[in-house]
Amino acid sequence: MGDLIQLIVSGIATGAIYALAALGFTLLWQAAGVINFSQGEFVMLPAFAILLFIALGAPLWLAFLLACVAAMLVLGIGFKWVIVDPLIRHGVIPLVIATLGLSIGLKSTLKAGYSAEAHPFPSPFPGGQFSIADVNISYADIGTLVVAGFVVISLQLFLNRTVTGRAMQAVAQNTDAAKVLGIDVKRMVLYTFLINAVLAAVAALLVTPTYLAKFDMGDAIGQKAFFAAIIGGFNQTRGALLGGVLIGVLENLVGFYVSPAYKEGVALILFLVVIVFRPEGLLGRAEERKV
Amino acid sequence: MADKIIEFDKVIAGYSPSLTILNETTLDARRGEITLLIGPNGAGKSTVLKTLFGMLVPRSGEVRFEGKRINGKPPRALLADGIAFVPQGRNLFGSLSVRHNLELGGITLPRGELPARIEEVLARFPRIRERIDNQASTMSGGEQKQLEVGRALLLRPRVLLIDEPSIGLSPKLVQEVMTLLRGLADAGTTVLMVEQNVRTALKYSNRALVLEMGRLALDRPASELLHDPDLNRLFLGGHARTAA
Repeated sequence: MGDLIQLIVSGIATGAIYALAALGFTLLWQAAGVINFSQGEFVMLPAFAILLFIALGAPLWLAFLLACVAAMLVLGIGFKWVIVDPLIRHGVIPLVIATLGLSIGLKSTLKAGYSAEAHPFPSPFPGGQFSIADVNISYADIGTLVVAGFVVISLQLFLNRTVTGRAMQAVAQNTDAAKVLGIDVKRMVLYTFLINAVLAAVAALLVTPTYLAKFDMGDAIGQKAFFAAIIGGFNQTRGALLGGVLIGVLENLVGFYVSPAYKEGVALILFLVVIVFRPEGLLGRAEERKV
Repeated sequence: MADKIIEFDKVIAGYSPSLTILNETTLDARRGEITLLIGPNGAGKSTVLKTLFGMLVPRSGEVRFEGKRINGKPPRALLADGIAFVPQGRNLFGSLSVRHNLELGGITLPRGELPARIEEVLARFPRIRERIDNQASTMSGGEQKQLEVGRALLLRPRVLLIDEPSIGLSPKLVQEVMTLLRGLADAGTTVLMVEQNVRTALKYSNRALVLEMGRLALDRPASELLHDPDLNRLFLGGHARTAA
């Protein structure tokens, strides 16, 4: 029983990180109709940015804040202006191809231009664990849950309790109707890109101590975040949360009770099952788009 | 005769360079009247409203509001000028509450003015008040249309553009919406309406403009056109007998 609880708590913590990246997927899709296949690299870059700022003498917390600012500029504004804005009018497919290309380009550039090695990354949480009865839970898992939970709850409060958040939801639900009311659609879409960049930076802070900073660290997290978004429902932010946590927990359970060899296949199998039996995702709603 | 508040002067507009819908369209709407735009599908009725509201930029010609050129002026600026638009179809944000839909309708207003404006709309639409905390998607079709119109009225527009307000509504609700629009016009709001339910709409309108192939084919008092035996032919795209 102790093992089971440990696995579930640890799985929720890992899943929360997937969920952060998956949230970015769903937000970008809803607000701008963008599927970003370089989302994994959006997590990898802030990890290296944090290491860069630490190397320049900043403490971890300051390095993280600076990385958030850099992410907003490069992965938020830069990504939108340089890749999305010129291509969005041509439809989804050119953007999919462009983001796939961006993913390959970023990885290759980092590998060839900086390092192909895995670099250790400081954990923002103390080492060790605490025990209750026969259950041992690491401080890292608790810290991850607290930080990811705080970010997700803050985001939900922002989206639901502020006029700007509701305007962003309005743009996501019906862009034309939002324009008609005088909502500044371009600004709301830009906010979404900025939020995605910050979510990626937070995911980098939480996941890199485990994954280590490496040019291809985004492959796994990007893939799982994408599956999580589909499993939960691509058009629902809470779907991304559910999808992320489901994958994290099931990976842990399968890895422990079945075989670690099957762990990496869990997200794919869950994804296939959902696509076949509930294509709109567990919490998603069927969607029609005009062609 | 009331003065012209909206004018289209030889406007050419469309959805792409190869798809021209408005073909040197010249028409006007007069202050405090309901002007009804009718014509067959593709005649350019909705395009007139979209061009007027800055959602399409004319390739040539001039669109004027109170004598001033407004070609391509963005919707946000036109709202500030006093023009509001209720497009065709469902335009609510279904997952948001009725109150939040109303709040977004007043997003261009100073924050302090919003509560009083919402109260003003709720006083006019008691049914919306009853549903104020419900999700907009749970409302009936008639209630949703009332909310859309109410949301547009938050800004106290001087001109209300409304596209197909009767779609999806029962005959009784259509009468209610038309009565509402008539009341607005009688209180001084100019209404420019596109409506397929021509006979009903004509009863509540002052003027009818018949569009054919993106041009004004006929401009007559609504009461006169209502009794025209050729009404169905005109509406379905037959050639108008009397050019404007």
